[in-house]
Amino acid sequence: EVTLKSSDTHPDGYPTVEAVKQMGKLLEERTDGRICVEVFHSAQLGEEKDTIEQTKFGVIDLNRVSMGPFNNLVEETKVVSLPYIFKGVDHMHTVMDGPIGDEILAAFEPHGYVGLAFYDGGSRSFYNKVKPIKSIEDLEGMKVRVMQSDIFVDMMSALGANATPMPYGEVYSSIQTGVIDGAENNWPSYESSGHFEVAGYYTLDEHLIVPEVLVMSKKSWDNLSPEDQAAVRQAAKDSVPFMREQWQAREKASEEKVRAAGVEVVTEIDKEPFMAAMDSVYEKHVTSENLKDLVARIRATD
Amino acid sequence: MQPHLKFTAQMLRHVSTAALWLAGGGLILMTVFITAQVFMRYVMNDSLVWSEPASVILMGWFIFLGAAVGIREGYHLSFDVLLYFLPQGAKLVLYSISDAVVAAFGAGMAWYGAELALSAWDVKLPSLGVSGAVDFLPLVGGGCLVFLFSIERLMRRAAGLPTARFGEDPIEEAA
Amino acid sequence: MEPVILFGTFTVLLLIGTPVAFCLGAASLATVLYMGLPPVVVFQRLNSGVSVFALMAIPFFIFAGELMVRGDIARRLVALAGAVVGHMRGGLGQVNITASVLFGGISGSAAADATAIGGLMIPQMKEKGYSVEYGVNVTVVSSIIALMLPPSHNMIIYSISAGGRLSIADLFTAGILPGLLLAVSLMVTAWFVARRAGYPTERFPGLSALGAMFINAIPGLLLIGIIFGGVRSGVFTASESSCIAAVYALLVTTLAYRTMHWPEFVAATKAAVRTTAMVLLVIGCAASFGWLLAFLRIPAELVAFMKGISENPLIILLMINIVLLFLGTFMDMSPLIVITTPIFLPVATAFGVDPVHFGVILVLNLGIGLCTPPVGTVLFVGCAVGRISVWDAIRTIWPFYGAAIFTLLLVTYIPSLSLWLPSLFH
Ligand code: NA
Ligand code: NA
Repeated sequence: EVTLKSSDTHPDGYPTVEAVKQMGKLLEERTDGRICVEVFHSAQLGEEKDTIEQTKFGVIDLNRVSMGPFNNLVEETKVVSLPYIFKGVDHMHTVMDGPIGDEILAAFEPHGYVGLAFYDGGSRSFYNKVKPIKSIEDLEGMKVRVMQSDIFVDMMSALGANATPMPYGEVYSSIQTGVIDGAENNWPSYESSGHFEVAGYYTLDEHLIVPEVLVMSKKSWDNLSPEDQAAVRQAAKDSVPFMREQWQAREKASEEKVRAAGVEVVTEIDKEPFMAAMDSVYEKHVTSENLKDLVARIRATD
Repeated sequence: MQPHLKFTAQMLRHVSTAALWLAGGGLILMTVFITAQVFMRYVMNDSLVWSEPASVILMGWFIFLGAAVGIREGYHLSFDVLLYFLPQGAKLVLYSISDAVVAAFGAGMAWYGAELALSAWDVKLPSLGVSGAVDFLPLVGGGCLVFLFSIERLMRRAAGLPTARFGEDPIEEAA
Repeated sequence: MEPVILFGTFTVLLLIGTPVAFCLGAASLATVLYMGLPPVVVFQRLNSGVSVFALMAIPFFIFAGELMVRGDIARRLVALAGAVVGHMRGGLGQVNITASVLFGGISGSAAADATAIGGLMIPQMKEKGYSVEYGVNVTVVSSIIALMLPPSHNMIIYSISAGGRLSIADLFTAGILPGLLLAVSLMVTAWFVARRAGYPTERFPGLSALGAMFINAIPGLLLIGIIFGGVRSGVFTASESSCIAAVYALLVTTLAYRTMHWPEFVAATKAAVRTTAMVLLVIGCAASFGWLLAFLRIPAELVAFMKGISENPLIILLMINIVLLFLGTFMDMSPLIVITTPIFLPVATAFGVDPVHFGVILVLNLGIGLCTPPVGTVLFVGCAVGRISVWDAIRTIWPFYGAAIFTLLLVTYIPSLSLWLPSLFH
């Protein structure tokens, strides 16, 4: 009998946390209780960067993380972190459910991880307290908080904004007092962080549609029999539709709450100039043949 | 007093002084970085993306170096109420056990810090562009010094020399 | 078995005099080895425990405090407090408390407060016929005010121990009313004690002297305005304000007061590095310890256990307070914040207590622990400054403990004392 320890930085009840619990339930049923999953939510075992290392050591068996921290380790993960790479959430699903997704999952293996499944992370858009962003010019000179990542910093600079890295916990009061003008995130985070209370303009430009990934430690994986490995992989895959349902419900609930609070949401926006501005970012970050090929194939996928 | 030990103690005193100066320099440099960030963001509207990760690494340096100096000077927080009631001989044995534990932990910091640094060697740190190993070097450096200074305490005690008790005055003054 | 090894190793090492940081680290290491996990995880947690950007506020506030004490800012604040409240009953006692309010507005260190204000006030009080014990008692307990009023790096330690998602600005603001309430209840106590002992009052120095002292203290007082104004107007964040405080203190003491020269500057920097390294190493090692607590599911089991005792949040909070007060008598503040937050915060939130409110309770509670033997850093500082034994101090300190615990109970059971002020800013 094995209990797989799983880490997640999101709080209990969040779609990714519930999805891993669901996977555990399926696994327990299918192995007659031989394999269970225990989820440590709310970053109890550390932030993503730390838990990724712990997963490599085999201290943590499963880990639900965003792609960002893997960018400098597993090159293939970079491709989905590129701004405007997907035309929309449906396009992202098609790509990640197909051969390209499998290829990216397989790329984790040489680095000590087994990629099991992709979960939704929604689409990230800009919000700020100054004015509705309707065109790329509106972003000019705006101080926007981004995650500490080269691609995101370069993306903001290419859009003419002042990219300002800052710990997540300081964003609320920093927008409120005007240290920064805004930030960017998906509906659920925009709502649960309360940022909508202080940044009342949300522009659905969907610059990043980055799926999240469920990985298993290679060390833990190798301790399982081939049948159990197959069972784990299947249970992970089977948790994906459940996750997407949960995610959509969550997104909808967040959107309703935010709209009810009187936030001005800009939905009609011409993304072309935004995408055109990304050429320099792609040039700088899509360097290897492998990445260029992946970008081309994603763009060719309908 | 054995001449070797005296020489070693003098060498280590220089190492400790150098570590403290380096740590102080780190604190001042960090002050400069954060002030620069506030200035650049507020006045120039052009945030420095490297000031945060660079400050965090500097902070690692002055924490671990300062912590190692604390072993030598004896300024760490400790709780030794029980020891008041013990005879001198028993106290010295317990202090030595304690120093041995600290030495072992310092060795662990250095050894496993090196392991972490090696495994992060190929990872490039965002915004700084340097190897991820840099994140763990303070742990390695501090660990080596913690180990050295703890061994010095053990040797001094074995030779009947005074060592700084945690929470009391530094050795150089007490000696 | 694992919890026994974790807590057992910790306790044994603590009792034989091993520094607290290494007790935490070695106990984690022993447990990890026993469980057959790779030891590297302990050192990874140690490293990431100190690699937290928001922690920078601790070295900066400590640095700023050192500069203020060595550069004459603190003395001028005490002089101002003397002119304002010296004529009240128990005059210099009231001055001492008021000075802590002023000093607390620019520093978050109770030990710095006790050193600076005690060092200036206790000799004066002795000279004017106050008993030294009274001077030490007032100095020691009123230094808790510095922990409660912003800036308070202990609130930052709490925010980080709580997972780094609590707003530091909210925590800072939440401490203001409880800090002032503590000041008032200590002033009332000082008044009663002084009346019974028949202590003198000071003469009011006259408005012009008051004005002169006020002008003298302005650069120091301005720091309060700069920190608040800067944060509220969006020039810098709450944690960046710590750096601005250090830079400002340096500018005032070198350019305005001209009290800060190279030797004082070097001494202040070294002292700041020593204190910072001591505090932050504990925080780093506690990150390993806390990780093991979570890994072993100890907080979850404690929640279940306490639910078995009572479902009433009032009783749960009382129990948590008693446990914390007990632990606070044996250990220092920052290690206790980092060790107990991951254990008790989930309990408190499970019973509906707001995390910001809990932070205020925790800091006040453990602040009281700084004044109680056997391990009471601030008490030791106060006794050392007054040159009396710990025993002499605690024989007479009880009314002040009483006032502090009374304030703790009010703060615990009236959440709006902590939460009302931050709510105004939302
Ligand atoms: Na304060
Ligand atoms: Na105490």
